[in-house]
Amino acid sequence: MKGCIFNIDAGYLEGLCRGFKCGILKQSDYLNLVQCETLEDLKLHLQGTDYGTFLANEPSPLSVSTIDDKLREKLVIEFQHLRNHSVEPLSTFLDFITYSYMIDNIILLITGTLHQRPISELIPKCHPLGSFEQMEAIHVAATPAELYNAVLVDTPLAPFFVDCISEQDLDEMNIEIIRNTLYKAYWEAFYDFCKQIGGTTADVMCEILAFEADRRAIIITINSFGTELSKDDRAKLYPRCGKLNPDGLAALARADDYEQVKAVAEYYAEYSALFEGAGNNVGDKTLEDKFFEHEVSLNVHAFLQQFHFGVFYSYLKLKEQECRNIVWISECVAQKHRAKIDNYIPIF
Amino acid sequence: MGSMFRSEEMVLCQLFVQPEAAYVSMYELGEAGIAQFRDLNPHVNDFQRRYVSEVRRCSEMERKLRWVSGELPEPPPPPIPSRRMLSPREINMLEEKIDYIESEIQEMTKNARNLKSDYLSLIELKLLIEKTQTFFQDHSAQRKLSATVQIYNNDAVFGHLGFIAGTVATSRVPSFERMLWRISHGNIFFKQAQIDQPLKDPITGHELQKTVFVVFFHGEQIKLRVKKVCFGFKATLYPCPATYKDQQEMLSGVETRIKDLEMVLDQTEQHRRLVLTNIAGDISTWMLAVRKEKAIYHTLNMFSMDIIKKCLIAECWVPKSDLYIAQKALDDGVKASGSPIPSILHHVPTREIPPTFNRTNKFTRGFQTLIDSYGIASYREVNPALYTIITFPFLFAVMFGDVGHGLIMTAFSAIIVIYEKRLSKNKSDNEIWNIFFAGRYIILLMGIFSVYTGLIYNDMFSKSLNLFGSSWMNVYDSETLANHTSLELDPAVAYTQTPYPFGLDPAWQFATNNIIFLNSFKMKLSIIFGVLHMAFGVTMSVVNFNFFRKPEMIYLQYVPQILFLMLLFWYLCILMFMKWTMYSATATDPTYGTSCAPSVLITFINMMLLKGSEDSPPCKAMMFDGQDALQKLFLTLGFLCIPIMLFGKPAFLFWQARNRKRHEVGGERGEVPAGAGGGAGAAGELLITQAIHTIEYVLGTVSHTASYLRLWALSLAHAQLSAVLWQRVLRYGLARSLAGSVTMYVGFAVWAFFTLAILVLMEGLSAFLHTLRLHWVEFMSKFYDGQGYAFMPFSFAAIIEHDDEELAQNGAPPEKKDEEY
Repeated sequence: MKGCIFNIDAGYLEGLCRGFKCGILKQSDYLNLVQCETLEDLKLHLQGTDYGTFLANEPSPLSVSTIDDKLREKLVIEFQHLRNHSVEPLSTFLDFITYSYMIDNIILLITGTLHQRPISELIPKCHPLGSFEQMEAIHVAATPAELYNAVLVDTPLAPFFVDCISEQDLDEMNIEIIRNTLYKAYWEAFYDFCKQIGGTTADVMCEILAFEADRRAIIITINSFGTELSKDDRAKLYPRCGKLNPDGLAALARADDYEQVKAVAEYYAEYSALFEGAGNNVGDKTLEDKFFEHEVSLNVHAFLQQFHFGVFYSYLKLKEQECRNIVWISECVAQKHRAKIDNYIPIF
Repeated sequence: MGSMFRSEEMVLCQLFVQPEAAYVSMYELGEAGIAQFRDLNPHVNDFQRRYVSEVRRCSEMERKLRWVSGELPEPPPPPIPSRRMLSPREINMLEEKIDYIESEIQEMTKNARNLKSDYLSLIELKLLIEKTQTFFQDHSAQRKLSATVQIYNNDAVFGHLGFIAGTVATSRVPSFERMLWRISHGNIFFKQAQIDQPLKDPITGHELQKTVFVVFFHGEQIKLRVKKVCFGFKATLYPCPATYKDQQEMLSGVETRIKDLEMVLDQTEQHRRLVLTNIAGDISTWMLAVRKEKAIYHTLNMFSMDIIKKCLIAECWVPKSDLYIAQKALDDGVKASGSPIPSILHHVPTREIPPTFNRTNKFTRGFQTLIDSYGIASYREVNPALYTIITFPFLFAVMFGDVGHGLIMTAFSAIIVIYEKRLSKNKSDNEIWNIFFAGRYIILLMGIFSVYTGLIYNDMFSKSLNLFGSSWMNVYDSETLANHTSLELDPAVAYTQTPYPFGLDPAWQFATNNIIFLNSFKMKLSIIFGVLHMAFGVTMSVVNFNFFRKPEMIYLQYVPQILFLMLLFWYLCILMFMKWTMYSATATDPTYGTSCAPSVLITFINMMLLKGSEDSPPCKAMMFDGQDALQKLFLTLGFLCIPIMLFGKPAFLFWQARNRKRHEVGGERGEVPAGAGGGAGAAGELLITQAIHTIEYVLGTVSHTASYLRLWALSLAHAQLSAVLWQRVLRYGLARSLAGSVTMYVGFAVWAFFTLAILVLMEGLSAFLHTLRLHWVEFMSKFYDGQGYAFMPFSFAAIIEHDDEELAQNGAPPEKKDEEY
């Protein structure tokens, strides 16, 4: 029944989104891109794709950062167009997607101010999708409690932040904990929200979000080795909406080194495969890349079903991956460092 | 007009051009627009081609020019048309010039921006001082702060209260205030006042809504944090003196500075305008030159390079009749470059199918487009567009026949045609208007033909015109007329026996059986036109068979097809003519009286079903003696044609192949002819395609004949709609009373609106689409192949038009672009 009335509110936007998706670069495009000698070549080739003339008005010595900015700008315009035309519950869903960018921006700004960087230098680095009104005044806060009381209380992130309020100073360790606590609360809230929407959206999104949660839990564990983070504290940071919950997370909480994490992943078919292929040797793909590949495949699968919101999330994520790919290739081209140019993650 | 009959003969040419001469030659060819170049390096990426750096240079110049023209106060005038080419040296000079202009304007813009932002902050400061004065007055009056607490300047805090003053965007005020309140735990005092006069953003030129605020606080710690918040909300802070006297002093200082700055701003603006107006006239011409150059290099990128001979090789399709132009372009190139080696134009014999090129003028273009949108004609196939010029408006008019509506249509299109030069100059983005404009000649012809058929139907806004005096007369005396509402007129008595000279007799307007009579008339007419149209289409295939040297197909396909159509359906038409001429009210023989006229349709159905019909004396079921036998003969002959259509072509091909094989075996004994094994499969496929074609044709004749009845159906619908509109709307206004005149006033507007919107526009569109269908399906399926591809010459005119369209889309401001997604 949901499918029947889906198109009344979201049909146009879904169509639009699927149209945008068709503009995502194909393997053949990447093959052409990696052949480029200069960034001008890259620009010329991108003109032949869906990106069209997005670099046409840029003065000639192109820099990678210009390309990055323009790619992001195009994506943001598209996403905001979708957001502006959406109605409930899609609009909340799209807002939820932007919260993760907000978290990233907050962390970026706090870390920046901690290192005495002027805020005007940090603002351009923030992701435009995650900007909010109080963002630029964030450096008035010196403690998490102040951060909450003065800045975040008016933002949609406030409910996520409740767990982080403590009177401690903002030091690097605390910021990292805040980031992970925020993300934990965010993934769980997003997961619950998708469950509440139900139907195909829940099917598709819960799969993706569960993976995101598990990825975060695994990465937190691996990164925590050799730091002063206690195991109890670490366990508190795990998002509890993934497939690892509860047994896997309990096992992860006990892990002491990489091999033990790998042993935990052995119990889960999809994750063990990722650990199998990953390595730190030259020519091997890193675990991070493996995770990205898995994420891409999950997001591509989202387009196989109709009448659900997952396509919007997946489109954004795929497009982000594409931006990362193009920027990677441009970096390699700009620095004449071709050995690793093939390390992009193809989407289609 | 000869070129309309079939597409032009094309020649595949190979050009050997010296690289020095190539540029000029290509320029000439681009101006002429006669050659379609083939990409000889399809496997080479865009950025690996030979002239890619030149293309890039042009793009860069184009970008700069676009930027400069964006800075112009008004859109630049259109380019001065000139055929003169800019030499590469001139282009280089132009590039330098553009570079210089761009950097100069950029510099000026930057300066202007700086000045403007200075100006903006001064204005803000002035407003701030003016507004804050009232704050301080309020303050002192209400809280008597001035008496007890000294207010100190924020620069030097002597006592307890400090303040910060500045401006912030009005939209951010609420959250700004809330945030200030939060960070100070409520220990601040916030005053604000909106600036009423709109300010201009120095960079974007948009309007800014700003609010002046003053924050009072206590203590150094809070001051720092307040400042941070102000920074976060992009508030501009200004030093503001605390005492009235200082404020007045500052205000006067600011005002003099504002005056100075205004003068400077004025001067810079004038200078800027001067520079811009100086180049405004040239900018379009430059843009044109750059675009042409870019197009040339794009085309040169398609050429392949002979490394040893150091010359460029190109392949292109050129219409045979334009070869001399191409040759001249090459010669000009050589002359201009001063190279001793001439360029060579060389015809290449090829088995490839050339592109289809129909030379059109402004009149025929519309009709050609109608045909091309169905499918581009195969190379040198007969071009239906020529006949469409007449048949299209005619069939349209059969459906649309009304003098009034036709006149409206004619007038509308005639105005467009008369002012076409002026209208084509200022191009419109309106898609609907562009469609009308492109089809102006079609609409004009449709209008004229509609007037003609309207006269035939004697129908003008659903009323008849009595131009020549009716052939019917009143045979009743006044008493009978007074006592009856309707009376029958016997054609034997009341009809003068000489028909109304042109079109329908106006007497039918009053007849109650008007519709029955018109239906019979229009239905028959549609079938007759339909069969003629189809027969014409079938006959067109003969022209193709002759041209493509397939004379056997005339006997194997055309003759059975036309026989089938004629024997069955033209016979039906003949029956109609016979019924019209043989039966009359004044006939002496009762078997040919009006009451005895047999139904043509029933006769035809009986003929098909081989059913005899019984006479009911005095009438005869048949129109003439031996009709029954003749019909049976026609039917047998007609159906005998089907096996010829079905097996004729495959049998002929089979026979031909066997003959050839025997020939080959006789000539080269022992060698197995290649492809002999595939014969059985190919034959099967051939039989199936032939069967499909035959079934399509045979069923098609029936369904297509029926399809032409849409001529009658639409015509009926149109006539009835306009009659309803007259009777239900306008007729009430014709009452002779005061109410009638009022009704007329309103009614006419309603009537006129619906006449235009529904009868002319909507019905016109519907009739147009039906006509299009009759041509595409019923007419063209009889002979048209439509497997060709269009000739797309390298032409500056086409490229620039295309660029303009793209620019119109991309040049739109970002918000608009957003809408397009």
